[in-house]
Amino acid sequence: MEGIMIINGSPRAPKSNSKKYAELFAKYCTVPSEYFAITNKNHLELCRKMENYTHILFVFPLYVDGLPVTLMNFLKTLEEQSPKTKLQVSVLVNCGFIEPEQNNVAVKILQCFCKKQGYPFGSVLRIGSGEAILNTPLKIFAIWKIKQLATSVAKGKNRNLKTTMPLPKKIFIRASTNYWENYGKRNGITPAQMATMGIEEGSV
Amino acid sequence: MNLILSDRRIELPINNRSTEFIDLSGLQISNCIGCFGCWTKTPGKCVIRDDAVKVYPKIAESCKILYITKVKYGNYDTIMKTMLERSLPIQQAFIRLLNGETHHIQRAVAPKQATVIGYGNISNEEQEIFKQLVARNASNMCFEDYRVIFSHEDTLEQTVINEVTSWKE
Repeated sequence: MEGIMIINGSPRAPKSNSKKYAELFAKYCTVPSEYFAITNKNHLELCRKMENYTHILFVFPLYVDGLPVTLMNFLKTLEEQSPKTKLQVSVLVNCGFIEPEQNNVAVKILQCFCKKQGYPFGSVLRIGSGEAILNTPLKIFAIWKIKQLATSVAKGKNRNLKTTMPLPKKIFIRASTNYWENYGKRNGITPAQMATMGIEEGSV
Repeated sequence: MNLILSDRRIELPINNRSTEFIDLSGLQISNCIGCFGCWTKTPGKCVIRDDAVKVYPKIAESCKILYITKVKYGNYDTIMKTMLERSLPIQQAFIRLLNGETHHIQRAVAPKQATVIGYGNISNEEQEIFKQLVARNASNMCFEDYRVIFSHEDTLEQTVINEVTSWKE
């Protein structure tokens, strides 16, 4: 059976932007797909389910310029519990910075895993401004590229795509500051409190 | 202060009060859950109150720092990577331009002379990726200057001793 296993490697999978990106991918993909989130307990189950699919799409956020530990831990299990037939692996990675190129090293890390473990590599979509883009009218740029990724993965192509908010960086920074100030406001935290230089000061 | 952050126990001849060695493998540090609490609820403090909260203030404070980590697929292996992810409270949510790129504003983080020793059976490709990763980290982790050194596991201790000895000089 042809099918895509979408695996969310975000540590906050149920509330993650990665989940929203995965949903958009599934919506626009012409090949059947199924969504899974990595948890501490389901590594073996996910490895076993791989026998039922032809492709994997890893969806994850950039953490400290690389793969989040949630995904790294899963890859270590997958190394030990590899499916008999190696699936084609594609990637949808997002970072909060405006430059989608800041995701490049994370993609290389995943490509390195694939090369070492014998998984054919498929397509990549690198999203910049990924924390907020889906909450703005500029989401059309993300959706457009996700459609292209979905088509590429369905056809087994090797495309290297990227997208971000088409804004000058200074305007992006202003918009990002507003975004985070509103985030803090919802928690009763002022911009000045958020901008504290103190580390481990005050009460939790 | 000088800080040595290691993902394994290493016997080091340190009798220098200004240098602290932390063996992360002996600490209880759980994964960052990406809740943004340290930016938007309790700024500067992680809401998970495990051993990581004792470590990231020291990372922030250190002027000279040595990371000792196994390298996996060109990434930090998970012990070190978990600690790096849990160091998010030392940055603000807010973004600035740094060398023409967007990066988070740092809180009270001392500029650092950093050395990263990556160990294990590391292929040339993994070495190249890891060097690129550390170069990216330099912008996000306040490295004023940095070096990356690779070592096999069986020569790691001597590699670390050589590095720390050069600090004394």
